[in-house]
Amino acid sequence: MRKYIFRKDFVFCLALGAKINNPDAWLDYQEKEMRGDRSRSDMVMTIKTPNWSRTLEILSDVEGKKQALSTIQSPAKDKGIRTLRIENNMWNYFPKLKRKVAVSSSMLLASWMGSDFTNDDILKASSMAEDYSHKFAKDIPGFKVIINTAKSNSKVMWPRIVTYASKKDCLPRRYGYYDKEGKLRRTLNFSQIKTFNGHKVPTHWEMIPQDDKTKKTVIDYRSIDFAVVFKPDQFSQKNLTGN
Amino acid sequence: MKTIASILLFSMAPLMAIAMNADLSGNLEGQFRNATNNDEAKKSPLFQDWDNENFFLAYGNVNAKIELGDSRLEANWFGRHGLSPLYEPKPLSPLGADRDPYLATNVFSFPQRLVARDMFKLQHVYQQGDRKTESVLNKFYYEWDYDKNRFMVGRMYINYGLGEIFNPMNPFNQPTGLTAISQVAQGNDGFSLTYFVSDSHTIQFLLLGDKRIEGYDGEINRTLWLHGEYQYSGNLQLDYVIGEDQNRQKIGGQVSYQLEDALIFTQLLYQSPNIKDEPSHNLLDLLFGYDQQLTGIWHVRFEGGYQKSDRFATATTFDRFLPTEYFGALANVIEVHPLLKVSGTLIHDVKSGFSYTIAKATYSATKSTEVEAFAFSPISRGDEPDNLAQKLVTQDLGVALRAFF
Repeated sequence: MRKYIFRKDFVFCLALGAKINNPDAWLDYQEKEMRGDRSRSDMVMTIKTPNWSRTLEILSDVEGKKQALSTIQSPAKDKGIRTLRIENNMWNYFPKLKRKVAVSSSMLLASWMGSDFTNDDILKASSMAEDYSHKFAKDIPGFKVIINTAKSNSKVMWPRIVTYASKKDCLPRRYGYYDKEGKLRRTLNFSQIKTFNGHKVPTHWEMIPQDDKTKKTVIDYRSIDFAVVFKPDQFSQKNLTGN
Repeated sequence: MKTIASILLFSMAPLMAIAMNADLSGNLEGQFRNATNNDEAKKSPLFQDWDNENFFLAYGNVNAKIELGDSRLEANWFGRHGLSPLYEPKPLSPLGADRDPYLATNVFSFPQRLVARDMFKLQHVYQQGDRKTESVLNKFYYEWDYDKNRFMVGRMYINYGLGEIFNPMNPFNQPTGLTAISQVAQGNDGFSLTYFVSDSHTIQFLLLGDKRIEGYDGEINRTLWLHGEYQYSGNLQLDYVIGEDQNRQKIGGQVSYQLEDALIFTQLLYQSPNIKDEPSHNLLDLLFGYDQQLTGIWHVRFEGGYQKSDRFATATTFDRFLPTEYFGALANVIEVHPLLKVSGTLIHDVKSGFSYTIAKATYSATKSTEVEAFAFSPISRGDEPDNLAQKLVTQDLGVALRAFF
């Protein structure tokens, strides 16, 4: 018993303390672990079907919940394309043509570079903790099930998301995304938990659309720096257009 | 010698402590196009007396960039080679003089001028027989960021404004929404100072060489220009322009507003008559645009507006691609498959009845290559006999292969 209690995962999950039965606390904890206050992520995205696959390398900077900047590192065709988000505004910048384009908010639901992720996913435009209300559903073995329902005043793509969180470390292992009709549209699976700067993060993400399960998009995080210090104008028009 | 080396090393130490970043990238494209002429173009005054011809085009960019701290040096070399009988018209009579290439070659390789404001003459154009080769350094500038300012000097791209088919408030870069050419921007020679007033307000001042359609004749005039961007609120952005360009005084702006699910924008540009007393009249351009992602795979854009025609411009000096005066354009892009995008654009002149359609299918063949099939066709003829630009619109089918590195 003593050995079990002091297993690292179990102790880590106790970070929720007395709030262990509060679903809001679970979501807050997950966001603090996975988003932090700020981070710089180096990731590889692979779009896979039975017949072909494509790989993109992306550098993603995030500060708080309102500022994000992503830069495509490869392939050559898209190298250097940047997307900046400040509050609810978004711009794409194409450095080869020195062209900056304001992106309509409707573009948040568009597929990002042909993948199963949307602009909203990549720019972390929605906050599960803030934009949704949370309640527990019946547990399944090893997992807490949390129903996240969009708040009436929030501008989010998915009216309902179901989180399956591991009871061992409180981190999610699966999100199920449901549309307005209550139909499951896509599933995001998380695995390969690693620790970066004291933050535990799933580093292997698989997004599977329900209407075509032969296809999926995989994100593998190569590194995440939660101790990064950004220059003051990191999330600015000047920095967006300065490359 | 050792002393000199030591002094050099010592003086360069602060620079060496700053990370240097160098990058080389580019693209190469080959196009084949089969074009059928407009019967109206064969007659006077255009005399474009050809029926059906093939047009081959190869072009590419090599872009080099060196960054050192807050400074960067960037250059782009653009090469283009066209091959077609259209470059070599037969004389109008057996003993007639040689003629200039048919005007369709300008349309097929639009934008013709890769340097809109050319003071430094860093380009070479060679044309003989049925081929034309161009080699242009269309970007070559030094940029330096200091505090809230950005200085640029040299040959630069100046790209702003939301219009993709018609973008009147930016006279420095032709929109390429109606062409089969991609990855092309026009260089402009001069100096730029950008002042980032705040997170929501940016002002760019430009001092450039003036634009010439037919060459400089030893004269370099000036373009003085101010462009500002002001984010008034989360939803509303205001752009303003004022200046002197192509011997006209110009003033205008853009208002863009984010709706819940779409972006709407409008532009207006007023141009005074020529300030050098050349025969001219004022010009006015208006644009209204609507942009929405309808579903995860379907994007739609509408642009409509008015481009006051310049009645003093001839077919050879006409530097606007848009072959209509009043127009509405509807562009749809559908991502049929992650590797395949299809797009269809319909443009209609509400005054003359002229309509024009463009269809493209772009397939991402490998990580670094894509294949595109394209078709351009007028679908209804305009009833304005004086509109020469409409008569030049041909019916084309083509295919392109692109590679990126």
